[in-house]
Amino acid sequence: MDPIHTEIVVLGAGPGGYAAAFYAADLGKKVLLVEQDKKLGGVCLNRGCIPSKALLYAAKLISEARESAHRGITFGSPQIELDKLRAWKNSIVDKLSSGVSFLAKKRGVQVLTGRGYFEGSQSLRVETPEGQQFVTFDKAIVAVGSKAALPKAFDLGNPRVMTSTEALEIEEIPEDLLVIGGGYIGMELGSVYASLGSKVVVVEALPGILTGADPDLVRPIQKYAEKNFRELRFNTKVTQMSTKGKKIRTVTIGPDKVEKEEFYDRVLVSVGRVPRCGDLGLENTKVEQDERGFIKVNEKQETADPFIFAIGDIAGGVLLAHKASKEARVAVETIAGEESTSAGVIIPAVVFTDPELAWCGLTEGEAKSKGITVEVAKFPWGASGRALTYDRPDGLTKLVVDPETERVLGVGIVGHGAGELIAEGVLAIEMGATVRDLAESVHPHPTLSETLMESAEVYYGFSTHTYAPKKHE
Amino acid sequence: MDLKLPPLGEGVDSGSVVSILVKEGETIQKGQGIIELETGKAVAPVPASAAGKVTKLLVAVGDKISVGQPILSLEAGAAPAKPAAAKPAPAAAPRTSKPAPVQEETADDAPEAEEEEVSGPEPASSPTIRRMARELGIDLRKIRGTENGGRIVMADVRAYIERLQRLAAQPRSGGSASTPAKLAPEKIDFAKWGPIAKRPMTPLRKVIAQRMAESWNTVPRVTQFDEADITALNDLRKKHTDAYEKKGARLTLTSFALKIVAETLKKHPVFNTSIDLAGGEVIYKEYFHIGIAVDTEQGLIVPVLRDADKKDVLALSKDLNDIAVKTRDRKISLEELQGGTFTISNQGGIGGGHFTPIINLPETAILGLGRGAMKAVVRDGKIEPRLMLPMALSYDHRAIDGGAAARFMIDLVRGFETFDEKQLG
Repeated sequence: MDPIHTEIVVLGAGPGGYAAAFYAADLGKKVLLVEQDKKLGGVCLNRGCIPSKALLYAAKLISEARESAHRGITFGSPQIELDKLRAWKNSIVDKLSSGVSFLAKKRGVQVLTGRGYFEGSQSLRVETPEGQQFVTFDKAIVAVGSKAALPKAFDLGNPRVMTSTEALEIEEIPEDLLVIGGGYIGMELGSVYASLGSKVVVVEALPGILTGADPDLVRPIQKYAEKNFRELRFNTKVTQMSTKGKKIRTVTIGPDKVEKEEFYDRVLVSVGRVPRCGDLGLENTKVEQDERGFIKVNEKQETADPFIFAIGDIAGGVLLAHKASKEARVAVETIAGEESTSAGVIIPAVVFTDPELAWCGLTEGEAKSKGITVEVAKFPWGASGRALTYDRPDGLTKLVVDPETERVLGVGIVGHGAGELIAEGVLAIEMGATVRDLAESVHPHPTLSETLMESAEVYYGFSTHTYAPKKHE
Repeated sequence: MDLKLPPLGEGVDSGSVVSILVKEGETIQKGQGIIELETGKAVAPVPASAAGKVTKLLVAVGDKISVGQPILSLEAGAAPAKPAAAKPAPAAAPRTSKPAPVQEETADDAPEAEEEEVSGPEPASSPTIRRMARELGIDLRKIRGTENGGRIVMADVRAYIERLQRLAAQPRSGGSASTPAKLAPEKIDFAKWGPIAKRPMTPLRKVIAQRMAESWNTVPRVTQFDEADITALNDLRKKHTDAYEKKGARLTLTSFALKIVAETLKKHPVFNTSIDLAGGEVIYKEYFHIGIAVDTEQGLIVPVLRDADKKDVLALSKDLNDIAVKTRDRKISLEELQGGTFTISNQGGIGGGHFTPIINLPETAILGLGRGAMKAVVRDGKIEPRLMLPMALSYDHRAIDGGAAARFMIDLVRGFETFDEKQLG
């Protein structure tokens, strides 16, 4: 195959990579998108955000049906056809993935299927099914993402030990499921399997679940999980794992230091994600990596190699699709000679558990650890009419505020639909809104969005639907 | 990509476009002059920070533009990509002199003088405003937001830019002296006494006019005259001319003058100062950057030869030739016109005797050299024909007293008369 030259080559077609490729093409660049998977969209679309949300939606239906009994509505116990559920989930993935391919074609972005390997700072070898394709480029954007970590001790070569990738394929509904790691992936997928009928045990080495978020926001999720999961165990480690017939034998050690032997039908390992930096040929470039393998970048997404940019999970930081997409814009704008930066950009985080958890900007915990003086205003959802009509008073909206300027520095929400509500928080922080700005913007009634306005009113002590002593004039 | 007006340094943040040196569709090289910009200091070309094809010109002759403003759009296409797309220069050099607080007692109602030191987190503003600030090179911390929580909105940015423009438009003379340029003189119809031709003042002429008037109006200037016997020096020059030519340098009287002046300045540092009346300080510069008045077709331009004290006569001769050629070809950069500490104006090449040079602000002294001429001089009781160089030292009497000037002159004359041949290498 003759070598190809392109202005920009993008490695990896996830939400960072395809966003970068499309944006660069929209700015008139000649773009080549290299993806080893035949389906575009990356982890997010094929093995992450999208399929998990499809399953979570299905799972929620089951739990909501069950919970409606006290409202006088009962259904028979759900009949679950896994093949159909999987097919429906896959149809969503396929639709979105082919949508990405279609958009690439529309923009004239050339897609090359194969694994890319840097031969130098401006050349790439792509192993395609048809053979080697050499590519020279002006600039490269590395967006190869991350994959689920599977520590050696857990890698039994047994399909009953799953990472999130396999868990999303729902081959079966295990009777007993052990989830190792109480982060967002473990909690989300644990919820799915719990709703489908598995008895779920979560073990977490740290003292709680979702440790990045403020504890008051995590509490409702923990409560709900305690009710729906068989057990949550903290300060607990899995010390042994082995195959025992059709079961997985595990030994855990909890805070009491007593070893506990158990047998599970399946185990989900969700202990974090690692960068897909292996076998990229980065050693042939000037790109530098940190000790964990993430590529070092500056706030313009430039690596140590002047021809190579890195975005998304491979560039470290929070591993979120929308962070990758934002970095895609920054990288492309920098290449186009614009003054762009990812510094100070507010990246919201959402955990799609039941109830949902979302936050953005400064958390209360972060303020404390950094010694930033803040004031916090909270509005409990028990006082929200809309939350009660959803039968979900287990929510909380809170604002983290700079008392001097009254600027909103952080927003945290736990509760039904928190993932949708957080966008207003992002806008507020990005716009430099003050608490008063939020309090004076009329929010529609009855909606959950009112909780943002009312938490702002709590700050001044005049929230209509809750009583808080007056603190600010 | 757009090429933007780069930081100009030394407190200059805007200027007027005098001419446009490239055309749409033209392919330009990195470093090539794209426009000529007139600032309060000079007229100088602005070099392209990247190569490519000009797709669109974004400024017109006469436009007033500020640092960070796009000048033209470039299609970077053809040229091979250079490493790390031209990093913006490390934000404008720190200013040495604080702008004078205009009038202290009325500071309250006057528009607040530009706060120089800014630190701390950025104030609240929308992403749109922040992007615009990045593109224009504006530090948002210098802007006072008027909305809740000090939030900066578009109107605040606009007000800030307008203020910058007003500041840029004011002559930076310090003090609230009435601006004489504003006194529109009575319009006279010269044609009633005979035929006339009107030619527009070139932008450079306007700059010269403004700067000369500023110097004339602010500096109590004294000019000290003397003559130096350069008979021996001239012999030295002739003797070494060929050797220098072989090394690719032209040995001229100005080369000697640079060396001698630099050494004399070291002995008399007050001639290497600037004064800051508002701050009540005299700024002694520990570097010796000598400005050389160059006569060009368009008018007088004064490029600066750096660190004259650290260079030997050969290096000075080469540098001198380089900057003179660059200046005549109008390829000198704004950077090379700034930072001078003392100026030499040598009219000897053209002719003439003593004259009274005008001080090149913010310097405090200037040396004018005339043409060396044979004169009858009394030496050891005998009249001898000697080659005498007319010298005129103008100095700012605010900083320098007559005695100091006389002593400076004596050392300077001695420098010319006792120049050591060893210094020619």
